[in-house]
Amino acid sequence: MVDRESRVAVKMGGDSPLTATPSQQFVLMLSRVWAWVFLGLMIAFFVIAVPFVSNGAVDFLTLRNSQNILVAITPVLLLGLGQTFVIISAGIDLSVGWVMSLASVLSALAIRTAYNAGVPLFPSAVLGFAAAVGGACLVGFFNGVIIAKLKVPAFIVTLGSSFIVRGASLLLSENTTVIGLPAGIRNYGNDALIYYIRGEGGGLYLLSRPEVTGDLLRRMDPILPYPVVVTAIVVAIAIFVLRKTQFGRHTYAIGGSLEAALRTGIPVDRHIIQLYMLSASTAGIAGFLSTLRFTAGSAVIGDPLLLASIAAVIIGGVSLFGGAGTVMGTVIGALIIAVLTTGLVMLNVAAFWQFIVVGAVVIIAVLIDQSRDLIIGRGRTG
Amino acid sequence: MSRRQSFLALVTALVLAVVPQVAIAQDTIKIGFLPGVVDPFYQVMQLGVEAAAKKLNIEVVTQIPATWGVEVQTPILDALVARGDLDYIVIAPTDKDQMIGPLKAALDAGIKVITVDTFVGDGDYVNGPVTFPISYIGSDNVEGGRIAARGLAKAIGGKGSVYINSTNPNVSSVEGRAVGFKEVMGKEFPDIKVVGLDFNLDDMNTAVQQTTAVLQRTPDLAGVFGTNVFSAQGAGTAVINAGLGGHVQVVAYDATKFAIEQLRAGVVSLVLAQKPFDMGYMAVQFAAADAAGVTSLPRRVETGFALIDKNNVDDPAVARFIYQVPGK
Repeated sequence: MVDRESRVAVKMGGDSPLTATPSQQFVLMLSRVWAWVFLGLMIAFFVIAVPFVSNGAVDFLTLRNSQNILVAITPVLLLGLGQTFVIISAGIDLSVGWVMSLASVLSALAIRTAYNAGVPLFPSAVLGFAAAVGGACLVGFFNGVIIAKLKVPAFIVTLGSSFIVRGASLLLSENTTVIGLPAGIRNYGNDALIYYIRGEGGGLYLLSRPEVTGDLLRRMDPILPYPVVVTAIVVAIAIFVLRKTQFGRHTYAIGGSLEAALRTGIPVDRHIIQLYMLSASTAGIAGFLSTLRFTAGSAVIGDPLLLASIAAVIIGGVSLFGGAGTVMGTVIGALIIAVLTTGLVMLNVAAFWQFIVVGAVVIIAVLIDQSRDLIIGRGRTG
Repeated sequence: MSRRQSFLALVTALVLAVVPQVAIAQDTIKIGFLPGVVDPFYQVMQLGVEAAAKKLNIEVVTQIPATWGVEVQTPILDALVARGDLDYIVIAPTDKDQMIGPLKAALDAGIKVITVDTFVGDGDYVNGPVTFPISYIGSDNVEGGRIAARGLAKAIGGKGSVYINSTNPNVSSVEGRAVGFKEVMGKEFPDIKVVGLDFNLDDMNTAVQQTTAVLQRTPDLAGVFGTNVFSAQGAGTAVINAGLGGHVQVVAYDATKFAIEQLRAGVVSLVLAQKPFDMGYMAVQFAAADAAGVTSLPRRVETGFALIDKNNVDDPAVARFIYQVPGK
């Protein structure tokens, strides 16, 4: 971000030891695993506390609940995935929430228009996907070009573009929720890969939703709803790209030291443009999925998600100074937020506690990140 | 109105007749209460829910979203469903189209749905596109808009320009209010012109700004209709800030204490109080009645309004409709 120079200064300080003492090693170990441990402890807490508080009437550890949590993290996680890359490169993208809204509106308009023009259901959905990701990519391109070529801080550019995007999507949606989508769209957004019906007369059903009613319907649990499947695929691609490809290595390099990246001949400008397009396109996928899930496009759908997604990224251990972070960290960060929401509802505690806990965890995450940096110096993790 | 009142009386009689048996036969049902957002209106509704629940010995699980929106409300709804111990959900859906899917999923999981204040589909659960909720209990918002229009028209002497400040698009409650308001202005008051409708997206600061801008754009603006708490408070504030208190009449939907304060100060001419306590109370009674096997519950109940102006604001019979939460 803005502190590129101070970061270099820290690094130039030169007193970071190459061999760590045992206590330093402990901090390093802690910095790698604490989010997992925290998530585990939180789940353990809810597993014990929820049945206790409800006198055994409510269980936290159920199939349905696990699937709910997975569905709940999809928007936050998708916004966070692109953001992970951007923040690793020492940038930030404040436009993702409203880019998601724009994508939601664009995809709904595209699906409705195509379907009403006689295009079959599935190709209509594909067109909706293209409109969502295409529109989002345009915004990302705009952000990236101004940041990379005109050297305007990312914070300012994406803040500005987020307002533009918000206005555009409210105008496009004509101030209202975009409805009139074909009914089959709802199935794409809500059906699951597998269905499991507990008990008598039940069983496992693959790929198609069993037509059951009454008691059987109540005992039916959807496993891996399609939005979760799509998100999982995107996560897998993101992990691969960040860890195994030149694109990933360049991202770390630019975040670690912009100057060094330039000297080693990395096409920094082009890479930064691609990063913001990537960030916008995962937000675009989130918008598309929300259109499927709610069977309508909405210009305000992404409003509450931007800060949650940045919180997820930071809890996941991505350094705001760039150069460090993983995709799995962001997944854990998003899971922590979703588990908290669901767990607190089940405990019947006001969901506002979620904000207090998430806020505290964000600060802890940054503290741990900083103590790690003090020990090993910035920009050396990968 | 009299038809509606007699209908209401019938409903009340019906529910009351059922209630004693309910208390004996069904003391085990559990209700989830999920309003739209934190605000005084829903807080009063929560009082109604809790009062009825206490009386009928029903357990209620209440969760209030911090911000308005389907992406906030849906995960909470899903979590309530996943608890697995609820029989009914009393909810104010935050979008009449987008919440259909999530509520259908709750129904599939065996939880019956009662919508309060806002509805899904077009609110007609008999012949409309959405029929699965047991009932919609709320204000007839179109009628509320009409009442507001007549009140404002009277206050400004039947002529001039008026402006509507609303919250969010595609929310059944505020949308209906604007529709009713425009309808009456168009039909009954040819000398009144509606000069604009803005959405403040539930942000009072935005409402202040928008109203301020309209005051500048339309110097002869005679009146403003604020379609809910945020809108009316924002519009009233803008009028005060512009030094136009008393010259520009404001009709406020929702009787918050702030709105009443402004009524006393002469900024707001008329406050339309909804009856959130009744909505909450009745929704719980309906759940209990349904659990007891009642099949003829009305699919739509309009709880009516109380009109508050300077002359009756101190009358206890009217003042009890001001949204007040004890200890707050």
